[in-house]
Amino acid sequence: MRRVVLTGLGVVSPYGVGVQPFWEGLCSGRCAIRPITLFETDGFRSRIAGEVPAAALAALPASRRRSRADRFGLAAAREAVVDAGLSLAERATAGVIVGGVGGGMLEVEAWYWEMARSGENPRRRSALRSVLPFSHAEVVAHRFGLGGPKETVVMACSSGAASLALAADLIGDGVTPLMLAGGVDALTRICFMGFNALKLLDPDPCRPFDRDRRGMSLGEGAAFVVLEDWEHARGRGARPYAELVSSGLSTDAFHVTSPHPSAEGTIRAMTEALTRAGLESRDVGYVNAHGTGTPQNDRTEALALAKVFGAGSLLVSANKSLVGHTMAAAGALEAVATVLTLRDGMIPPTANLDHLDPEIPFDCVPHTRRPASVAVAMSNSFGFGGQNVSLIFRRWA
Amino acid sequence: MERKEVLDELRTILTTRLKFDPARTADLTMETTLPKGLEGSLGLDSLDFIELSVAIEERFGLVIDESEDLAPHFQSMDALTRFICMKAAGQ
Repeated sequence: MRRVVLTGLGVVSPYGVGVQPFWEGLCSGRCAIRPITLFETDGFRSRIAGEVPAAALAALPASRRRSRADRFGLAAAREAVVDAGLSLAERATAGVIVGGVGGGMLEVEAWYWEMARSGENPRRRSALRSVLPFSHAEVVAHRFGLGGPKETVVMACSSGAASLALAADLIGDGVTPLMLAGGVDALTRICFMGFNALKLLDPDPCRPFDRDRRGMSLGEGAAFVVLEDWEHARGRGARPYAELVSSGLSTDAFHVTSPHPSAEGTIRAMTEALTRAGLESRDVGYVNAHGTGTPQNDRTEALALAKVFGAGSLLVSANKSLVGHTMAAAGALEAVATVLTLRDGMIPPTANLDHLDPEIPFDCVPHTRRPASVAVAMSNSFGFGGQNVSLIFRRWA
Repeated sequence: MERKEVLDELRTILTTRLKFDPARTADLTMETTLPKGLEGSLGLDSLDFIELSVAIEERFGLVIDESEDLAPHFQSMDALTRFICMKAAGQ
């Protein structure tokens, strides 16, 4: 049985470029959800999001004619690859799986609007070349010379988590010993307008697990991790951050946007992950929740957690209260946060949580980070259409 | 930066980023033309031009404005190296 470890991390988040600002930002409890500057928001119910700061983006080496999302992806992938200390020869064997949804849609929207308004065909044709979500995997593989299997996972809000799960399976099955896995998404008008139309966005920064929660906040970013067969990592002298012990994937097969009211699918994902890991629910000390802040998600997620773990001592927190819902990147960003919780014995708080919903029978770590020695943690990601992924990580001793 | 150095960097970009066979770029000179269809040219197509211009931006730290007509600047190595030197000098 091959063990899969994480040996490199990379992040672009609303706190800026890098794992360090991301982790310090989360632990500070400082919410990074602010008024949107990327496009017009007049007349919409919600006008805020977790945007990657313009100054951080301007400092990146990637061409400004690459899509915003590809620039996030390249920066996060570079940090992970450098962090893992991968040589050119090692990179040539590595595969890559990227969770994506929006692709280069932001640039195509701008191109289309210019054409519609001017009646002419804008010259900026390069804006059109990276519209599809597979562009992220393409540019990352090309830029870093990754020669192994390449896949793109489009699973809505669980895409980033699914990419880690599928990459770990490729390593576990002996297909390749080395994978770069993560998620990438930039804010787009269609996403912003769509979620507004669904009335799923809170006009104020989202407040997962709060009695008065009114919806989610959007966000954007990218995260990559280097996943590696432990024997391979040991052979080259790499030091793991943590072990990705197992994953559980399931589908509600219920509704296009709503989670199953009795949380059947999410319960199956969590139970499957525990079973594959050979762990009991009491072994898990912390859950990095999907925790979007919508009335439906938080209620059913709490219901599922209570069914799987029993009400009580489990610690739960929601990164989305701090950076917003970074869509296809969310599962990968939250995996990085979960791994750093294990390493540092520190749980980032749930921001904006003033009045815990009485239906949520857990300590959701409000406002202030919590020192806690956690040996095993779970990260949940649930996408539209009931696409559920639970990942279990173990502290590296 | 001297135009000769720029030419050497373009040769590297063509082999490492556009994956051209080094044999194809070895005898590259200032007189070499780029667009497909010209006698003795490198044979770049429209996608190659986008990839090349993005790589130039990343290698030389430039911003190329696509709203202007770029075709004349990408006609030959002579024109392209002049264009890059002019951009690098902030003009």
